[in-house]
Amino acid sequence: MTGFPTAFSEITLVLFTTLAPSGALAYVLANLPIAFGRATDEEREHLDRSSWLLLAVTMVGLVASATHLGNPSNALYVFTAVGKSPLSTEVFCAVVFLALAGVYWLYSFAERPRRRLQRAAVIATNAAALAFVAATAFAYNVGTVPTWSHPLVPISLFANALMGGPVLACLGFAAARFEPGRAPWGGRLLGLSAAALAANLAVYAVMAVQLAPVSNELASVPELVPNYAAFIAAFAVLAAAGLFVGFRGLRARGRSLVVRMACASALVLAGLFVMRFTFYMSHLTIGLGI
Amino acid sequence: MAQYGFHFDGTRCTGCKTCVLACKDKNDLPNDINFRNVHEFGGGSWKQDASGCWTTDAFTYHVSVACNHCDAPACMEMCPQGAIGKDEATGEVFSDPEMCIGCGTCANSCPYGAPKVDATKKKSVKCDMCADRVAAGKQPVCVEACPLRALDFGKIDDLRAKYGTDAEVAPLPAASETKPNLVITLPVNAKKVGDTSGDEQNPREIK
Repeated sequence: MTGFPTAFSEITLVLFTTLAPSGALAYVLANLPIAFGRATDEEREHLDRSSWLLLAVTMVGLVASATHLGNPSNALYVFTAVGKSPLSTEVFCAVVFLALAGVYWLYSFAERPRRRLQRAAVIATNAAALAFVAATAFAYNVGTVPTWSHPLVPISLFANALMGGPVLACLGFAAARFEPGRAPWGGRLLGLSAAALAANLAVYAVMAVQLAPVSNELASVPELVPNYAAFIAAFAVLAAAGLFVGFRGLRARGRSLVVRMACASALVLAGLFVMRFTFYMSHLTIGLGI
Repeated sequence: MAQYGFHFDGTRCTGCKTCVLACKDKNDLPNDINFRNVHEFGGGSWKQDASGCWTTDAFTYHVSVACNHCDAPACMEMCPQGAIGKDEATGEVFSDPEMCIGCGTCANSCPYGAPKVDATKKKSVKCDMCADRVAAGKQPVCVEACPLRALDFGKIDDLRAKYGTDAEVAPLPAASETKPNLVITLPVNAKKVGDTSGDEQNPREIK
């Protein structure tokens, strides 16, 4: 008995938790020049027009998560449990973030936008994005599921976002005709990603040790997630390959830069997908559930 | 509010699963969903001593369990829709089909495996302690069907006064987790929660 069927049945949530936190953090990072008032009018325009790409990554994740619902037509009741259920709070934060981002994006098309209003809006949207990442990190804190309520679970999700977000942000910058390699922050962003990769590996190594003895009367974690070390190795290889492509791509220009950053992002996100899959594989309750 | 609950007598249950089938029949459940399950828990081995005499510590017993309509239900706490509530008159933990979106969070959270997601209805479904029968003054159908009279149902205070306060035995979780409205008369060779000497013997029967 492995946890593969469980994870496969939740594949859309695997996709959601892979894409959405990284997409949201990438959105924050890509908008920092505007939030700090460092972008020229032309740069701001490029960033605004290309932010759809990072929003789309987040939206794909969110839409994917909605497809696992049996009957989404009554989903608006989700707002009745905000603050009570962590999942409800997560959905609420996602809606607030996407609503603010959408309104901001639409306002960016105004012929004579008010700069202060725009800057305030982007700061508010970034704050909502960070709240959304935090809400997602704690959404799986189910006391009766020891593998999900482990204290390192939210830390791993933050580390995931810190690894995927900067690479995606570089893709956003490239799409906005910024050339990250021509500024020191391009290398710093990928450096942050590389540091987050190291943090992820440390977190997953500790989790592998600490979750190994966890079991209920139906299954144990080693049975549910066989070859956990191999999953971590696959994650490390994919993420390292993505970062290698990213660092090498920093010197590229134009469309080549976009393509290379897209490849780097895809590889890093594929690595994250592997570990999110193992997260769902490890589901077991303290009693009779797997 | 009166809180109703179940009593399970482990010294009587033979694992015949009449309770499971009576429940499936009444609720017209599909093959892959049981509201009540009978867990067969067993373990042990045979050993031969120096004189050649064989001894055994093998054991097996059954635990019939459905939704325990807990005082601190994990399903209700986690439901993102606020679709799960407790009935004020009976303490039944119910799922409102109007509000439910079939996300499966309740099924993932419950340590008794009580709520299920019905793929056809695309909703969470669970034991409702036969609310219609209880309202008509009858017992839930699982209780009435049990040929060994191993199940009982009533106000939990009355059940505890009659049968005691045990509410946990392996393979069930600790009662302190969700405060189930369940009373168990412990079976012979009952093992404590978290026991590692036994295993679930019938995992393919559990739906």
